[in-house]
Amino acid sequence: MKIWVIAEKKDGELRRVSKELAAKAASLGDLVVLEVTGERVSGAAAATALAERAQADPPDLILTGATPSGRDVAARLAAKLKRAYLSECTDLAIAGSSIEATRAMYAGKVRARVRAALPAVASVRPNAFPLAEGAAEPRITAVPAGPTPGLTFVRFEPTASGGGRVSLSEARVIVSGGRGLKGPEAWEAVEALADVLGAALGASRAVTDAGWRPNEEQVGQTGKTVTPDLYIALGISGAIQHLAGMTSSKVIVAVNKDPDADIFKVADYGVVGDVFEFLPAFTEAVKHVKAGA
Amino acid sequence: MRFLICVKQVPDSTTRVKVAPDGTSVVTEGVTWSVSPYDEYAIELALEHKDSAADTVVSVISVGGPRTKDALRQALAMGCDDATLITGDGADALGPLGIANALKSAVDDLKPDLVLCGKQASDDDQGFVGPALAEVLGWPHVAVVTKFTPSTSGTEIWKETEGGHEVWKASGPAVLTVQKSAKDPRYPSLPGIMKAKKKEIPERSVAGVDDPVKIEIVKLEPPPARGGGKILKDGDTKAHAALLAKLLRDEAKVL
Ligand SMILES: Cc1cc2nc3c(=O)[nH]c(=O)nc-3n(C[C@H](O)[C@H](O)[C@H](O)COP(=O)(O)OP(=O)(O)OC[C@H]3O[C@@H](n4cnc5c(N)ncnc54)[C@H](O)[C@@H]3O)c2cc1C
Ligand SMILES: Nc1ncnc2c1ncn2[C@@H]1O[C@H](COP(=O)(O)O)[C@@H](O)[C@H]1O
Repeated sequence: MKIWVIAEKKDGELRRVSKELAAKAASLGDLVVLEVTGERVSGAAAATALAERAQADPPDLILTGATPSGRDVAARLAAKLKRAYLSECTDLAIAGSSIEATRAMYAGKVRARVRAALPAVASVRPNAFPLAEGAAEPRITAVPAGPTPGLTFVRFEPTASGGGRVSLSEARVIVSGGRGLKGPEAWEAVEALADVLGAALGASRAVTDAGWRPNEEQVGQTGKTVTPDLYIALGISGAIQHLAGMTSSKVIVAVNKDPDADIFKVADYGVVGDVFEFLPAFTEAVKHVKAGA
Repeated sequence: MRFLICVKQVPDSTTRVKVAPDGTSVVTEGVTWSVSPYDEYAIELALEHKDSAADTVVSVISVGGPRTKDALRQALAMGCDDATLITGDGADALGPLGIANALKSAVDDLKPDLVLCGKQASDDDQGFVGPALAEVLGWPHVAVVTKFTPSTSGTEIWKETEGGHEVWKASGPAVLTVQKSAKDPRYPSLPGIMKAKKKEIPERSVAGVDDPVKIEIVKLEPPPARGGGKILKDGDTKAHAALLAKLLRDEAKVL
């Protein structure tokens, strides 16, 4: 069983999800870690480079992280190879000449076990597989990619508030704010908490629609699906479309002044109270417990 | 300019999806069907161009059984100009590459300048058909698009990435897979609904479409039940905050 992991780097470092996949793949078969290299490579160009290599030396299974670019490359590559693509898997197993995967369907409202014939391509969510502390870095082989016919990169437009934080899809801790925070000013306190926790920022659609926070922070059916160890929902009511994106989190904390808010139905811990009173007190308390108090 | 938008009919986003007794499908009885949310955003982006450039033609197309016509009428009622249904025996059971191949044959005839898909359909959550359609067409694609601006020299396309947008330029036709964008999809207007009712929806057949890949559903289940959590109420929020921090460290072990 030959398994390719298409690795991704961020700021020069191998992404955690790539390491998780390499560890998992090594337990399933013979691991080859590849990285597509080149300046601003499109999904199509990356797929072309990888498909050429696959034709010369066919793998049984190709894995990418379920990151925006991992999903992009995986889908196009699977189409090029005329193979199944299973997107955003949370578990994988080889069953004879097939792959079986667990993945969410219906915007997270249903959990599915799906099967496809090998060879196949799958993208896997961050945090799906454990990563042993101090695991050796896998050896990476570069696969250079060329330009894309008919498509050129023009420029990068950074989001005003984007920089510095861990990405939402890979975060272990997410602090997410809703309309209960009343306005963009409240994020000063939200960010203070996120800083203490090393967390990524999330938001409900009410917040991104109002323009308080950028779209890319939205969690839910028409935003990101997230699977952190800890998801803290502040002033979020728990609409079905929001829940779709975050109920696979390991631990959910909800803070809401309405004791009947739906978010409490999925929460492992909750505080019924005013979020503005809660936030500074909780930030201080987290500092304390982290310092061992 | 002609835009072609590929739309899929899925259960409305407010549906509480239930697994059917067979364990491999969902209950369809009582479900309200709708155009998949990201496809609605794609329609909105195209209609915004039509609002400012009147010679724009916005076409929609869908692969599916007879019920799929309702999704196409919804798109027409929003303001799309024409709709095509690709249907016939097995249309509902086509795999992702079969759908892409069926769409390709229509693209070859309709000759749009740009094809828009949703980032992913909200039933299978795959995000496969858009890039697959680009592949069988031999076109470039850009995924997770929030904005595009066509001009005579090509189309500028905004792709959402971590920390910002990559702006790409397509010199010719391309497939874009659309992310939630700045403006919410418009609602069908009353005159729009009346007009959509009367529109002819031409059909094409799925017969003979190459469908090389099957993804089999072994089992569906509701997500693991949650709740029964520790809810701290009645009392001092500050004290609750301090207790919560301790619980997260000592009990949940996530700090
Ligand atoms: C097709 C479609 C797709 C959608 N996709 C998404 C999506 O991806 N993500 C998403 O989030 N939504 C989505 N929605 C919208 C969703 O239905 C809800 O409207 C949205 O999630 C509500 O956001 P909210 O919880 O922040 O606001 P609200 O529902 O207004 O809730 C605010 C909460 O704050 C609480 N509150 C108020 N003041 C305080 C205070 N001082 N202290 C503590 N608590 C307070 C209130 O009790 C209330 O529960 C979608 C809707 C549709 C139709
Ligand atoms: N049956 C279909 N008919 C038309 N377009 C479809 C169909 N299935 C998928 N698509 C398009 O492909 C996108 C991605 O679908 P999926 O790969 O199923 O997640 C959808 O948002 C639609 O734009």
